[in-house]
Amino acid sequence: MSKPHYDLEHHAKKATGIGDPQCFKGEAGPAKFKVGDRVRVRDISDLFYTRTPTYTRGLEATVVRLVYETPPAEDEAWDNTDNVEWMYSVLFKQTDIWPEYSDTFSNDTLETEIPEHGLELA
Amino acid sequence: MSKDNKHKAAPMVDEVSEFEILELAVRELAIEKGLFTQDDHNAWTEYMHTLGPVPAARLVAKAWLDPEYKKLCIEDGPKASLEVGIDWVNQMPTKFGTPSDYCNLRVMADTPTLKHVVVCTLCSCYPRPILGQSPEWYRTPNYRRRLVRWPRQVLGEFGLQLSEDVEVRVMDSNQKTRYIVMPERPEGTDGWTEDQLTEIVTRDCLIGVALPKPGKTTNDPRPIRKALKPYSH
Repeated sequence: MSKPHYDLEHHAKKATGIGDPQCFKGEAGPAKFKVGDRVRVRDISDLFYTRTPTYTRGLEATVVRLVYETPPAEDEAWDNTDNVEWMYSVLFKQTDIWPEYSDTFSNDTLETEIPEHGLELA
Repeated sequence: MSKDNKHKAAPMVDEVSEFEILELAVRELAIEKGLFTQDDHNAWTEYMHTLGPVPAARLVAKAWLDPEYKKLCIEDGPKASLEVGIDWVNQMPTKFGTPSDYCNLRVMADTPTLKHVVVCTLCSCYPRPILGQSPEWYRTPNYRRRLVRWPRQVLGEFGLQLSEDVEVRVMDSNQKTRYIVMPERPEGTDGWTEDQLTEIVTRDCLIGVALPKPGKTTNDPRPIRKALKPYSH
């Protein structure tokens, strides 16, 4: 059996002069969530790779920005760029994340990015 | 001058770490395999050495003086960077970024009741094209794991005490966006030029662990506190 040919430069060819994540613009289709939506971070498998922090799993947050379109890190780690998704910047209340976070500072927040497949409507 | 070579140049580093040896070994294997050339590597190293926090400081100073530019910074970081001479895409030797230097920048503007501070809990992502190499403390597990959970205490250690009416917002740069913080323009800077303002926007201000102050143009030294119960082998 011959070795399958695999183009190691397919990403470079696509992104050169455009940038990553800009090179995936327009590939994700309509966004599932909009700014202001209350969402929950799905506690899905992170067996192989993820960039969704454990401390956000299962928590509710508010979508503050649709940042860019990209294949999720879970796929990109294996060089799979077929499923481009929207990336959302979501805002958590610190008191929701950490049980000991002082109520005196209940205004404090934390913002981070979660790909679309990692979120569901709360 | 003595003839016995007493004045040799000091070594660049005292000791080479295991990670540096590992990097060297992997790099040489990659070059041998043809994944990239030594010239590519040199180009990248030279590019990295040209970077520093000045363009980001200038971006903030410009935004303080020009509300329209401030709007652009908040909306489109990479586009706003062009005006301070940073092209996130084409200045990199690769012309598309790398897995740790993606091309998306967000400028987080503080308000009197909102203070941003940046961390990467997963590794040490840092907006290197516009801010240069990250400081040592930014990469430590200590900063990364404590800032998300005890931000006020960690900021306190940097000498920044914030009242409870200020919302502290931790930006965890876990994906492809890199952040810089645009602090509030401090009092006592009326009539200052862009150059004067640029000088007081230090790297620490841009990460969010310090506030700009007239007359203060350097980062504070990071105190090294000895462990109470040091670990020994």
